[in-house]
Amino acid sequence: MKLQLKKLRKQYGEKCAVNNVSVNLTPGVYGLLGANGAGKTTLMRMICGVLKPTSGCICLNGKTMGQLGERYYTHLGYMPQDFGFYPDFTAREFMLYMAAVKGLDKKQAKRRTEALLHMVNLTEAADKKIKSYSGGMKQRLGIAQAELNRPAILILDEPTAGLDPKERVRFRNLISDFAKEKIVILSTHIVSDVSYIADTILMMKQGRFLLQEPMSEVTDSIKGKVWELLVDERTAAEYSRKYSVVNLHHEDGMVRLRMVEETAPERDAKAVEPGLEDLFIYHNGR
Amino acid sequence: MLVKYEFLKIVRKKSTLIVMAVSLILTGFLFGLPIMQYQIYDQDGVRKGIKGIAYEKEQFAEVSVPLSEEYVAETIREVQELFEDPDNIGNDGNEQFLIGDAYWDKVAPREKLLNLIAGTYSGPNDSWGYNRFPELDLKDKTSFYQAMRGKIQALLDNPSRVLSREQKRYWSAMADQVDVPLQYGYYGGWEIIISSFELLMFAVLAICIVVAPVFSGEYQAGTDAVILSAKYGKTKLTTAKIAASLIFGTAAFFLHVVVACGLPLIAFGTDGWNLPLQIANTTIPYPFTFLQAVLRNIGIIYLVLLAVIGLTLLLSAKMKSPYLVLMILVPILFIPVFLTPNGTAGVYNLILFLLPYRSAMPEFGKYISYQFGGLVLDVLTIRAVLYVVLTVIMLPLAGAGFRKHQAA
Repeated sequence: MKLQLKKLRKQYGEKCAVNNVSVNLTPGVYGLLGANGAGKTTLMRMICGVLKPTSGCICLNGKTMGQLGERYYTHLGYMPQDFGFYPDFTAREFMLYMAAVKGLDKKQAKRRTEALLHMVNLTEAADKKIKSYSGGMKQRLGIAQAELNRPAILILDEPTAGLDPKERVRFRNLISDFAKEKIVILSTHIVSDVSYIADTILMMKQGRFLLQEPMSEVTDSIKGKVWELLVDERTAAEYSRKYSVVNLHHEDGMVRLRMVEETAPERDAKAVEPGLEDLFIYHNGR
Repeated sequence: MLVKYEFLKIVRKKSTLIVMAVSLILTGFLFGLPIMQYQIYDQDGVRKGIKGIAYEKEQFAEVSVPLSEEYVAETIREVQELFEDPDNIGNDGNEQFLIGDAYWDKVAPREKLLNLIAGTYSGPNDSWGYNRFPELDLKDKTSFYQAMRGKIQALLDNPSRVLSREQKRYWSAMADQVDVPLQYGYYGGWEIIISSFELLMFAVLAICIVVAPVFSGEYQAGTDAVILSAKYGKTKLTTAKIAASLIFGTAAFFLHVVVACGLPLIAFGTDGWNLPLQIANTTIPYPFTFLQAVLRNIGIIYLVLLAVIGLTLLLSAKMKSPYLVLMILVPILFIPVFLTPNGTAGVYNLILFLLPYRSAMPEFGKYISYQFGGLVLDVLTIRAVLYVVLTVIMLPLAGAGFRKHQAA
């Protein structure tokens, strides 16, 4: 399975939401990072075939979306950000409906629905109307519907947004379970979620990819650029204005700062092991 | 399967239930109003509602006869004789009329029939009642049916109608198909239905309110991206949405029709279903019975509904919110309420008679026709053709609108 994005571009009037993006994706989990407006959702929607690129093309195993037609969508599972469900449907009805839209036959639809509802721990609530569901339950139902057709490409847009830490952990594990031998593109603001499950990081800024690196190497580029130091509160406030501060922690009247800078902000600053959050701040600023 | 779920999506909404309930109650009220307000007078005063209806039906029993030439002539003669006795005559300064027992015993029970006969003998721009019978000279051998045809011809020849020779021929030929002698009888329920057809436009609006979110509701809820990225999102699902809307529209419409027709027919009875329309107005050219006329007009309103559903779905596929859809749709449906025709010819009138609201009104006696070269079509036919064509155009456009939708 190989998904190729070739010089993909989406223009809205003067604004270029996605600018000549090219990448070859093979099975694995891709963490798509970027600030708001970086073009993540636009890119995902183009991959899902619900938004037409201004130019460029998307190929699956060498064939364009147009050449594959309906077949392209059989490989696709999509969970958009904040999508409304049908509040008057029960979870089971919603799953059966989505199974029908995805072209599963009746038997398959029932089997997959039951299995997935069990997997996302919604079996007991399956006959309750979706309007009575919590945010976490809706997110779980969202990923369950995306997985109905056993897609080879699973696209998840901010799947953990709005979830409490316990739900987030649960959700990350679900994604890991579903990710086997698939191309999973996961966009999120929550950098820690990506760091746990992504194999590759794709970082976007102003519609372009800044980074396409394996997770194990992604922070290499900022090695020696992440610093920690203990300062008083006045200095902390001054440094916060002046430098890219990733974290700020109060300790016995002093403040421990974590910063991303090309050089040590002062002599006492200690270089530390960089993380994904540091990388995000390094590329996207304070 | 998809149609079933799309249908469920429509009917499960609380808003659907509320809109349908309100619309059915309104339809029931509007079509029930003539029953509640019905009143008829006898010598003792007024009889209202169901009692009044029963009394009128009793009176009609005596005149439920074929209107043969002899019967009509005899009826006219009887009234003329009543006018010969000065004690029977009252006068309001303008015209004379019968009073006392002569009126209550001989005229009141069949006044509608007498006015129908009198109206047939009147000129095209006159409105005669039974009190004009003394002016009729039966010796001139002008038969009732000759008078009927003569009046139709006079109406067709009236310069204000601006009818071409082909159009006149079309209407005369149609009128010739009316079977005579006319069978007279009671037709109260059907009369109420025929005169209230346009009230079904509220049902059409209610159905469109329910159908408006079929596509735009998906955009508004953000579910468009999920369904459009699924295998059948741009193909079978689109068809299923259209089919579910049409099924819902059809079911809801006929439920309204049952209420709209059921109430008058329960109260007034189904009597008259097989009687000719001409017993309400002898200048109607359509050779239909009351039942046929009602069914045909319901059919036309149904075709209007399908086209309006098509338009609603087209707007729904193009707009981001159901409210925007309704902001366009409501004026299209209801602005014609405030536009009055100033005749039966001319582009303005001919367009007006084809707009959805006016199309609900049968206009059986207005000789409205459309000519294309040598081809003449009456308003009922052209409405049927027009709305079928509009439906056939708009439904695929709605589907294409959804398929091309960009979930940005």
